[in-house]
Amino acid sequence: MKSQIINNRGIHILIILIVMLSSSCKKYLDAKSDQKLEIPTNLNDLQALMDNYATINFVYPAAGEVSSDDYYLKDADYSALFYNADKRMYTWQKNYIFNTGASGNDWESTYNAIYYANTILENIRSIARSPENAAQWDNVKGEALFLRGYQFLGALQIWSQAYDEKIAGTDLGIPLRLNTDFNQKSVRASVNDSYNQVITDLRSAIPLLPSIPLNAFRPGKQAAYAILARTYLCMRNYQLAGIYADSSLLVNNQLIDYNTLNPSAAYPIPNLSTEMIFYSVLNSVKPIYFKLAKIDSNLYRSYADNDLRKTIFFKDDLDGTFSFKGSYTAAFYQAAGPATDEMYLIRAEAYARAGDVSNCFKYLNTLLINRYKTGTFTALKAPDASSALNLVLLERRKELVMRGLRWADIKRLNKEGAEIGLNRTVLGVNYALPANDPRFALSIPEDVIALSGMQQNP
Amino acid sequence: MKQIFTLCLIFFSLGHVFAQRLVKGKIIDANDQQPLAGATIKIVHSVKATTTNKEGSFSIQVQSDTTTLEVSFVGYHLKKVRASNFIAIPILSLSPSANKLSEVVVSTGYQILPRERSTGSFTQVGNKVLNEQVSTDILSRLEGVANGVSVDRSTSGSVNRISVRGLSTIQGPKDPLVVVDNFIYDGDITNINPNDVESITILKDAAAASIWGARAGNGVIVITTKKAKFNQPVTVDFNANVSFSGKPDLSYIRQMSSADFIDVEQYLFKQGFYDNALTDPGMPPLTPVVELLSREANGQISAASANAQINALKKVDVRNDFNKYIYQTATTQQYALSLKGGSEKSSWLASTGYDKDISNLAAGYNRFNLRFQNTYRPVRNLSLTAGMYFTQSNNASGKPGYGQIFSENPSGFYPYMQLADAKGNPLPIVKDYEFNYAKTTGNGLLENWLYYPLEDYKHTPATSSNTDMTANFDAAYKIIKGLSADVKYQYERQSTDGRNLYDQDSYFARNYVNEYTQIDSDGNVTNVIPKGGILDLSNQVLTSQQLRGQLNFDQTWKRSNLSAIAGAEIRNATINSNVNRLYGYNAGLSTFQNVDYTNQYPNYVNGNYDFIPGNTDVDKQQTRYVSEFANVAYTYNSKYTVSLSGRRDASNLFGVNINNDWNPFWSAGTSWNISDEPFYKIDFLPYLKLRATYGSSGNIDPGMVAATTIAYAGTNPFTQTQYARFQNYYNPDLKWETSKMLNIGLDFRSKSNRISGSIEYYQKKGSGLFGTAILDYTGGIGSQVIKNVASMTGNGADVELHTQNLMGVFKWLTTLNFSIYHDRVTQYYLPSLQGSYFITPNNNVTVSGLVGKPVYSIFAYKSAGLDPQTGDPRGYLDGQISEDYTALTGTGTQVGDLKYFGSALPTQFGSFINNFSYMDFGLDVGIVYKLGYYFRRNSINYSNLFEYWQGDPDYAKRWQKPGDELKTNVPSMVYPENNNRDSFYAGSETLVDKADNIRLQFVNLSYDFTRFLKKNPSIKMLQLYFNASNLGLIWAANKDHIDPDYYNSLYSTKPPKTYAIGVRASF
Repeated sequence: MKSQIINNRGIHILIILIVMLSSSCKKYLDAKSDQKLEIPTNLNDLQALMDNYATINFVYPAAGEVSSDDYYLKDADYSALFYNADKRMYTWQKNYIFNTGASGNDWESTYNAIYYANTILENIRSIARSPENAAQWDNVKGEALFLRGYQFLGALQIWSQAYDEKIAGTDLGIPLRLNTDFNQKSVRASVNDSYNQVITDLRSAIPLLPSIPLNAFRPGKQAAYAILARTYLCMRNYQLAGIYADSSLLVNNQLIDYNTLNPSAAYPIPNLSTEMIFYSVLNSVKPIYFKLAKIDSNLYRSYADNDLRKTIFFKDDLDGTFSFKGSYTAAFYQAAGPATDEMYLIRAEAYARAGDVSNCFKYLNTLLINRYKTGTFTALKAPDASSALNLVLLERRKELVMRGLRWADIKRLNKEGAEIGLNRTVLGVNYALPANDPRFALSIPEDVIALSGMQQNP
Repeated sequence: MKQIFTLCLIFFSLGHVFAQRLVKGKIIDANDQQPLAGATIKIVHSVKATTTNKEGSFSIQVQSDTTTLEVSFVGYHLKKVRASNFIAIPILSLSPSANKLSEVVVSTGYQILPRERSTGSFTQVGNKVLNEQVSTDILSRLEGVANGVSVDRSTSGSVNRISVRGLSTIQGPKDPLVVVDNFIYDGDITNINPNDVESITILKDAAAASIWGARAGNGVIVITTKKAKFNQPVTVDFNANVSFSGKPDLSYIRQMSSADFIDVEQYLFKQGFYDNALTDPGMPPLTPVVELLSREANGQISAASANAQINALKKVDVRNDFNKYIYQTATTQQYALSLKGGSEKSSWLASTGYDKDISNLAAGYNRFNLRFQNTYRPVRNLSLTAGMYFTQSNNASGKPGYGQIFSENPSGFYPYMQLADAKGNPLPIVKDYEFNYAKTTGNGLLENWLYYPLEDYKHTPATSSNTDMTANFDAAYKIIKGLSADVKYQYERQSTDGRNLYDQDSYFARNYVNEYTQIDSDGNVTNVIPKGGILDLSNQVLTSQQLRGQLNFDQTWKRSNLSAIAGAEIRNATINSNVNRLYGYNAGLSTFQNVDYTNQYPNYVNGNYDFIPGNTDVDKQQTRYVSEFANVAYTYNSKYTVSLSGRRDASNLFGVNINNDWNPFWSAGTSWNISDEPFYKIDFLPYLKLRATYGSSGNIDPGMVAATTIAYAGTNPFTQTQYARFQNYYNPDLKWETSKMLNIGLDFRSKSNRISGSIEYYQKKGSGLFGTAILDYTGGIGSQVIKNVASMTGNGADVELHTQNLMGVFKWLTTLNFSIYHDRVTQYYLPSLQGSYFITPNNNVTVSGLVGKPVYSIFAYKSAGLDPQTGDPRGYLDGQISEDYTALTGTGTQVGDLKYFGSALPTQFGSFINNFSYMDFGLDVGIVYKLGYYFRRNSINYSNLFEYWQGDPDYAKRWQKPGDELKTNVPSMVYPENNNRDSFYAGSETLVDKADNIRLQFVNLSYDFTRFLKKNPSIKMLQLYFNASNLGLIWAANKDHIDPDYYNSLYSTKPPKTYAIGVRASF
């Protein structure tokens, strides 16, 4: 009898213990397990994600540059390329031109950056915008929209054919990821829808971004204008391209006088110069590595002797070949971000195509006088709009070499009948990529196709 | 009537007069009639007790003849007798209850269970067995002696991981839980001195382990430290030993011959492979041979001179220099002393130990342990225990070993490297930049830029010290008969300090100073990184507190016994850590200089702008757990036992929500002492017990959270703001893994214990396991994500057999541990079955995840030999012989096209230990075996050879002319390199071997002097022992002289044989 009561009391004690524990548990267990972990819910967290420079500033697909004719590789260097995929991309093979996702490739890094943008855009919906946080709120959202539009544009240049109004509604574009649900099936949108998304994103970013950002590592209004100019240029909507280039130049139209640079420096053009609108570099891939990539000899010869670009951009490798040292990043990284010289050229091209020859040369000459030895430059002129356009395109070729822009230019110009075809001879074998060949839309990495079931480029 | 009554009264009073009575007796072993020294004779229902002396004799005061005495001794059946028994017959024999080498009780960390009444599966490793090996740390002594335990060295991330009954998870943490006495041990397990360990219990099934809940899925290792006893005279125990091991055998390393390597370099030079590197303004490093060939091509030296120097280099093997200048004999010293004693009310133990190791590479490790433990019984039902365990250990770096001296870019080294000249003077080797450039550039304005491997390590001492203090308190109160309560508290604080110094003469510091030096056109020098040393400091402090309250109930009635525990516990562990770097460090003055982390500076060699690398960080981690547990066992008639246990855990880890995820862990078991049944007539097996258990336990990975989290990663150097990256991606269903196990066991003992042991069969199911899902990386989070999508099953058997073969003057005992283990993936999300995903590089095996196959499987490309015309390796594509390497290593091969070999983990393993003794000599020989598994070996990879200087001796066996394909499987060398061809060969079936091996684990020879010391009563035991370990393989299935346990990196060496001599004594 006695033991029974004791047993009961024992059980009561136990129950009280358990109940006490359960109720005080919650607070005790709310402590963070790792001080550095956070669920991204406040503006500081979102801004910190947007300041992840490795993703924001150091990601842009390089496959287009690898495939275009700004450079070539010597046979020995081609043979020494470690990845077979690089060799296949260099010789414009039909397939297996990207390493698998696990090794890292352009597709993976592009969509990774897009995920960052989507995270911000989703999470910012639940943060109230108030007068106190308005500036930060706008900045973060603007940056995310800019990033997404910018990356979608980059992807379009690689994996889709150039914009062609007539078939843009059915041409295969890119999957438009607009949320963070990574389980959602990828579907290729049409080229038309893809470009519309780019434009929507960039235009929505404009009112949100600051006029002058902290520095070129963060996008400001000027960056959004500049990329919109690029977008419309790719779509061959030259009027709008010109208008946006103009908006960008209104923010800042300062040019570097190349006469002030030292051509014997390893990288003559300083980083974060007044011409740099947004710092963005191509993914580092071996074929365009500065030590290996040799500038096309015909292109090199097209620079006049007084053209400072000849010595500022190119390094004489003393064996008859020339490599590139004119990166706007003052390092071996290939600049891909928008710059003021690019805006001048877009403006000039827009005027030429609109038939306004005098304004075209106003902008072209303003740019070129900064590129020739002082006192040696004679202003360019042409009798008609069509020759003006040719001059602009020639200067565009010479100015924007190794900037990640050549591939898109070849594709859009071919849509106008320019018949630009590419040729490479490697180890005695000739490879050709004729104008408007389907391979101008590079094949999507095979493992993505296998996992998503999306349609591969023909 | 009246007379009888008076007589009775007189007798009773007489009895009372003779009440206080001295009882004397002698306790002996029932089998061999030998006296049992140290047996305990206790008066029941009182604390009065005494122990037998060396002759087995005792004397004790009792109240009356009818007083009951309890006679007990470890390893023997308890006997309860009346005092009057001794008056009649003064000798009492106790019969052994089990093999003397095993214990009668098992410790789970929550309670101590009598083995007789337990249903669970336990492996006991007793003190004597632990002493058959002499390692500095305790867990390494388990390999080969504990049933069901194996050590994994071959899977990715394993690093000598102890594995109890194989795997219970696929992607989750795989380590078993380590418990010291009653609490989870958070500190570094190598801090525990093996001389402080009494025994180790391994909890293998659900009934044993589910009491530990969410951490017990991989089994639990309970370490029980030595404790003092009450009523014990003061004893002093002493143990000292010294070990030596020679230099490792470097011929075991697969190094390509220098002559072959140089031939390849000469060939590549002719092809122009080095042209770019030779003119590269970034001055990449070149080997001496390439330098000579270049100078010859430029006309700077004659062809004859170049050839002479090159031929001289062909004869150099860097391993000779390693042997001569780097490796040395390793020594270990171990000293341990302990004192213990006990009176009626208190027992105490104090021990101290000192270990000092100097490795083959002159790296030092020393450890000092101090331990106190005191139990005090102030009043009858209360017992208080306080203990403290202090460890101070220090590590100091030594010399760089094979594989740690290399040129930076492309981070390989050439086999004809010379560390010293003929006279022994240290030589420089090429490091980050081309040799002559490094030697001459700067016109004297730069620091010396040469790297001298034999000198450099003297300038880069890396030290760390670990101070670990654990204190515990325990109060136990007996409430009423059979019911007691106890409260236990443990506090642990471990502080680890690291200090890596690269002094101003070290290459590391000089290189950084030079790289950031700015020299303007006038020759003015600015050292952006100041001259001087670089000091990296790190500190980590772990504090943990655990509090447990527990009620214990144990009541025996006439026919049954009920024992139960119930309680709750709370646990908090905090880790604070920080790292820091100082530039311009002057060790003598303890000064340093500030550097500019906010601006980029051009690199002296290539002009690239870069920030000065910083190494400053601060972090804090905190884990909290709250748990409730209960355990009950009911035994009827001493024959039938039923047990139940349960536990609930909650934690603060993100996503593990107390309201959503109370994950109860439970087990149920039963056991049946068949031999006690009346119908049991098997004479030769006087003990037979059948038991069965079933239950669940869990596995938790503190890194898994069920929310998208970001981690702040540092300062964005361009915007000077904090930046973050994604740490985890939101997965709403992410939860703990669960593992269920069914265990059926049979324990048996033959007559006189000649044969005893157990046979167990188990089956486990892991469900809701973390599995990697390969993802369409358009989703933006990479190509993989972790989900609870996997499940696996495992089954096996453990057999433990102890036999007493000869028991006369010459004794021979054998222990055989034999385990069979098979696992199989039953569910694992793998949308892509492309073959190449299943082929992992040599011995860094990763999870295969193929349904129906073991978790870690070995697959290979089917091989069709070599092409008779070209020596190219051939595979099969759609059943046809093919050399399309892109397709073969890509989507052309699915996993079904691969050849499946088997498991990468042993499917049969165990040990075979023999103990011999003759007179005072003892000999223990331990053999460990691992069978039924495979491994992939390394061979020549031409892409890696050209780019990264990684050669392999198989190069000499390569195909060179038609007809060779009949003699060799090594493909021909091709130029230009084709890395798909190399990947295909590396993954082909010709490189997979059986990993089966039998190893001589240890030999222990001892001589016991105790017999000669009988005259000296103060010395109770004196033993001299000689131990040999790392004795190598007795047999291996592979014909390439590879030891599969020591083959997980390109530069693995086998541990050299170790010999130790020591002495043990008790006073």
